[in-house]
Amino acid sequence: MRTIRPMSCAIVLALLAGAPLAHASDGSDTMRVGDMQYGNGLDPRGWSPLMTPDADGMSWLHPGMLRTPSGALYPYPYTLAGKPLGQGGDWTYWGLLQLGYIHLGGDSDAEFFRQYTDWKNGAVLGLWAMGFDNRATGGYVEFRGSRISGDDQYYRVRAGRYGHYKFQAFYRDIPHTVSTNAFPIWQGIGGGDLTLPAGLTPGGSTIAAVQQASDAAPRRTIALTRTRSGLSLEGQLYRDWIGFASITNEERDGTRLWGGPMFFNFAFPGTGSPFGGNGGVLETVRPIDFTTTDVNLGLRRVGKVWHFNALYNGSFFRDHKSTLDYQNPFLITNVIGVPNAGPVVDGEYSLEPDNDYHNLRLELSRQLKWRGELSLAAAYGTMRQDDALLPPVNCTGTLGFAAGPFQQLIPCELWNTPAALSRTHANARIDTQLFDAKITFHPGRNFGWHADLRYYNEDNKTDYLAYNPLTGQYGYISENGSQGSVVPGEVGIFDNGYYATSNVQVANVPFGYRDTLLELGADWNVGTSDALSLVYTFDHNQPRHRERTRLDEQRIKLSWVSRSLGDATVRASFEYGDRDGGAYNHDPYEAYYSASLPGYTPADGIAPTAFTVDAMRKYDMSDRKETKARVILIYPLADSSTVSATFYGSRDRYDARIGRQDTRSTGFTGEWDWQPAPHTNASVYIGAETTRLKLANVADNEAIVGAPGSEDPSFGGPLYPFENYWHDLDRERDYNAGITFAHDFGRVKLDLAWNYTQSLSQLDYDYASPGALTHPEAAPLLDGSFPDNHYRSSTFDASLSFPITASVGVRLFGRYQSGSFLDWHYLGFDDTLVYDHRIYTDRGPQMHYRAALVGAMLSIRL
Amino acid sequence: MNRLLLPLLPVLAFAWLALPARARAQADAVPVDTPQAAFLDLRAQAPIRGDAGAGEAKATVCAACHGPQGIAIAPNFPNLAGQSATYLYVQLKAYHQGQRSDPVMNGQAAPLSDADMRDLASHYAALAPKPAGIADAGSRGAQLYLAGDPARGIPPCQGCHGSDAQGPRVQPGRAAHPPWSTFPRLRGQSAIYLTKRLTDFRHGIRPGTSNTRIMEGVASTLDDADVQALATYLSSL
Repeated sequence: MRTIRPMSCAIVLALLAGAPLAHASDGSDTMRVGDMQYGNGLDPRGWSPLMTPDADGMSWLHPGMLRTPSGALYPYPYTLAGKPLGQGGDWTYWGLLQLGYIHLGGDSDAEFFRQYTDWKNGAVLGLWAMGFDNRATGGYVEFRGSRISGDDQYYRVRAGRYGHYKFQAFYRDIPHTVSTNAFPIWQGIGGGDLTLPAGLTPGGSTIAAVQQASDAAPRRTIALTRTRSGLSLEGQLYRDWIGFASITNEERDGTRLWGGPMFFNFAFPGTGSPFGGNGGVLETVRPIDFTTTDVNLGLRRVGKVWHFNALYNGSFFRDHKSTLDYQNPFLITNVIGVPNAGPVVDGEYSLEPDNDYHNLRLELSRQLKWRGELSLAAAYGTMRQDDALLPPVNCTGTLGFAAGPFQQLIPCELWNTPAALSRTHANARIDTQLFDAKITFHPGRNFGWHADLRYYNEDNKTDYLAYNPLTGQYGYISENGSQGSVVPGEVGIFDNGYYATSNVQVANVPFGYRDTLLELGADWNVGTSDALSLVYTFDHNQPRHRERTRLDEQRIKLSWVSRSLGDATVRASFEYGDRDGGAYNHDPYEAYYSASLPGYTPADGIAPTAFTVDAMRKYDMSDRKETKARVILIYPLADSSTVSATFYGSRDRYDARIGRQDTRSTGFTGEWDWQPAPHTNASVYIGAETTRLKLANVADNEAIVGAPGSEDPSFGGPLYPFENYWHDLDRERDYNAGITFAHDFGRVKLDLAWNYTQSLSQLDYDYASPGALTHPEAAPLLDGSFPDNHYRSSTFDASLSFPITASVGVRLFGRYQSGSFLDWHYLGFDDTLVYDHRIYTDRGPQMHYRAALVGAMLSIRL
Repeated sequence: MNRLLLPLLPVLAFAWLALPARARAQADAVPVDTPQAAFLDLRAQAPIRGDAGAGEAKATVCAACHGPQGIAIAPNFPNLAGQSATYLYVQLKAYHQGQRSDPVMNGQAAPLSDADMRDLASHYAALAPKPAGIADAGSRGAQLYLAGDPARGIPPCQGCHGSDAQGPRVQPGRAAHPPWSTFPRLRGQSAIYLTKRLTDFRHGIRPGTSNTRIMEGVASTLDDADVQALATYLSSL
C-alpha cells in the first residue's frame, strides 16, 4: 500500500484540477457532501487500478513533464480508453471490475493490523468502476464501489454536466477497531445495561469470584463502524446564481472502552477481607449508537464586481442510547467501619445528549480600485440541547451509613425521580455571532497590503441549578451514592443542616468568550525571484467565568519565498507571538459552589479548602511567548526527479511556576521523487520529529484538609508546601520512512512499497520530597522515570499485475506487517485483570505481532 | 503459510518476465491509448539549421507549385516564402515519413534526405514574404484571431501565431516552453488554403503530429462562418 505523502497529495490534487479525466479521480471540488477520499485497505487511493499513466504526457504544447511553480514534478496524467456507446452517439463509456480473494495469516487479529480495515478471509470486490461521458454536452455519469466486508465498503455515484450541475450520492462503511484483546465480564456488551454473569453478586462478590469471572470472560473486539450516506446537488439556478443542497447522515454503531467508578480504590488497599477494600474502579464497555445528520444549503453569485455567498449549515446529533447502567460486583464499605445502610449495586452514566446546531453565514465582497477587494462576512450560530434530565441516582432503598455524628443516609426515593431536579429538561444553549471585514489592495505589481477586523462572540445561555425541591438540598449525589457510602461528608450535596459545611458545585459554569482580532499585512515582490510578506496580528480575547477576563496576544509573521537560489525554491517563515492579560484569579468559580449560598457554615470556622494553588497558570490562560520557524526547500534534479526537504520547529514558553511551562517541537522531512518515464516511478521519504512537554505541579497536603491552613492557596503555604512540588518532562521522538517503486515491464507491472513508523515516548520526573507522591512509601522504588513507551510498525506491500487477454488480467498482491508495542499502562495484565477492587477490561495491544495477507484479483474490462 | 507464499511473489514476477511477450493489454487497468504508429512528436523539436544556398539548388521542382520566390502560383498551394524554417522542415519530414498525406507531396518528399529537407526549409525561410495587404481590423476574423470568443470556448489565435500572424515571439525563460519554431506564420496565406487546413483540422483528418492534436482541439470550436472569417482576415494581412 503506498502512502500518500503531503507533497504527493498536493501534486495529485493539483494534477486532478486540470486533468481531462478529473471525474475519475477524487479531486477537491465544491461538493458539500461526501468525503474527500474514497478508499479502503485494498487501495487507500480508491482508484489505483484506473491510474494508467498516459505516455503522451500532460500537454501537447510542452515537452516532458511540467513542474509546479515551486518546482515539484506533476505526475503523468492518467488515461481511460472509452468505448463508444452505440453508433454515432456522443457518449463513450469505460468500466472495470475487480473480483478476488484474500487470505490472512499470522497474527491477523492484531489491533494495529486491522485498526481501520476489516480484513477477513474470503471474496472481496476490489473495485467496480464505470463511467459514461458525453463529449458533445459535457455530461457524465460515474460509479465506483469496493467491498472488503459488510463493515468496510463504499459506493458512490456522481453525475452532472460540466459547467451546469453536478449530483452525488454515496454510501460507505468505515471500521474503527479500538481493541481486539478485551475481556469484559458483563453481559449485554453493546447495550446500555451491563449485568453481571451468574456467580457474581452485585455489590457483594468476593475478589476471587470477580477474578474467576474475568478469567472466564471471552475475548472480544471493541470497535465501531461508521456508516455514512449522503446526497448532494449543485447547479446554476439563474445566470450568475449557483445553489447547492446536501444532506449527509452518519451512524456510529459499536462499542468503546469506558469507566465505571465506585469511588476510588487506590487510596484504600485491601483489608485482607475476601471482599477487599472500600471503593471500586471498573473498566466497562459502553455502547456507541450515534446519528449525525448534516444539512447544507448554499447560494452564491459571482459577478464581475460583487460576489455574494449565503451558507446554512445544520447539524443534528442524536444518541440513541442515553444511559449506561452497570452492575458493580464489589462490596462497597465505608471508612469508619460500620455496616452500610444498603449495598451500592448499580452505577449509571448519562451519555451524550442530543444536540441541534444551526449556523447561517452571509458573505459579500466587492472589487475595488487598485486591484482591491472589500469582503464582509457575518454569521449567527446556535447550539441547543434539551434532553430530559436523568435523576441524580437510580438506586432503590437507602444508601450511606449512620454512626454517631455521621448520619448520612441517602433515601433513594428522594433522588431517583425527575421530581428531584430543579428542571425536567436541560434547556442548554450557546449562541455565536461573527463579523469579519477585510480589505485588500495591490496598487502595484510589486506591493500589496490588507487589513482584517474580526469579531466573534460565544454566548453561553445555559443556566442550571442543581437543586432538589423534594429535599431542599443543592448539589448532586456523587457517583450514584458510592462516594457517600465510603467517606463521611462526601455525598456531594449541600443543605442548611447536616451538609451545611459541604462545599460542592451547585450550578453549571456558562463558559464563553468574546474575541476581537485585527490583522495588518503587506507583501512585496523583490525583483522577479523573491517575495516577502509581513503580517501583524492583535488578538483581544475576553473570556467569561475564567481565570482571566482579558487576554491580549500580539503576533508577527515574516515570510520569504525565493527562486533566486539556482533552480531551488525556498520558502521560509518566522513567527513570534507574545500573549499576556489581566490579573489572574486562580478561583473564579466561587459563585457556582455552595460556599456562596446562604446558610453555608465553614466547618470549625475554617473557610473552604482552597480550590487550587494560586501559582497555577492554566495553559490557555497564562502569559506565553511563542516562536515558530519553517523552511521548505524544493530542488529539481534534472528533468525527472525532485528533492524536497522541510525543517520546522516551534517553542512555547509559559510563565507558570505551576502548570505547563514549556513545549518544543522540532522536525524534518525529506523526500525524493523520480519519474523518468510513464511506466516507472519511485520515491523515498523520511521524517523525524521530537517534541518536549514540561510541566510542574504541587500535591496538596491532605493531612491538613479541613484543618486551619487548608484554605490557604499560596504556593509554599501549609496546603501546597514546597516539599510537595514535582515536575516532569515528557519527550517523544517519532520517525517514519517510506519507499515506493513501480515499473511496467510490458508483460507485467510491479508495485512495491515499504512504510515504517516508530515512536518512542519517555517520561521523566522529579520531586522535592516523597510528600509530593500519592504513595510516599513507594519513594525508594522510584528512579525518576516511567518505563519508555514504544510503538513500531513496518509494512511491506507487493503487487504484480499481468494480462491474460486484452480485457482480462490478474493481480497478485501481498502484505507483510510487523510491529511492536509497549505501554506501561498495560503492564501487569498477563496474569489477571483484577486487582483488589479494580477490574480492567482491555489487556492492550499485542507487544509483538506479525501478520500477512495474500490475495489474487481478476480484473475485467467492461 | 503466508511466510512461504510471500517469497514466491518475486519468483513469480521474474518467471513471468521470462515468458514470451504478449499483447500489451493492461488487464489490471484500463489500457493506454496506444499512439498511432505514424505519430510525430514535435514537443522537443529544436530550431533547425540548413544551407539556404544548397536548398535553392534543390528547389527547382518545388517552384512549379510554390513559385520561384516561394509565392504560390495558385491559391490552393501555400506560400513558403518567409515561413518558419523549422515548420517547413517538420512538414517535409511528415510527408517523408507518412504522418501527413498528400498524393503529390508524399512522392516529392520521399527521396529527400534529412539534409535536403533542412536546406530546402532554410532556403524558403530566407525568402522575402508576400507583401502586406490591407486588413480590416474590425472584422469578425480579426476579432476571432486577436481575442477569440470566450463564450464559445474559442481561444485567440494570436496566442501561438503572434499578434501580427508572423509566427510566435519566443520568450526566453527557464520554464519548459512549447516548440515555438514549429508553429507557422499565417500572414498572407490564401483564404482557400487556410480554409482547407482549418476544415481538415475540424474534421480530424489531419494525421499525426503533436501540433495537429493542438489544432484539432482549437478547430473543433469553430463553425463554417468562423473559418471563413479567419481565412479572409489572414489572407488580407
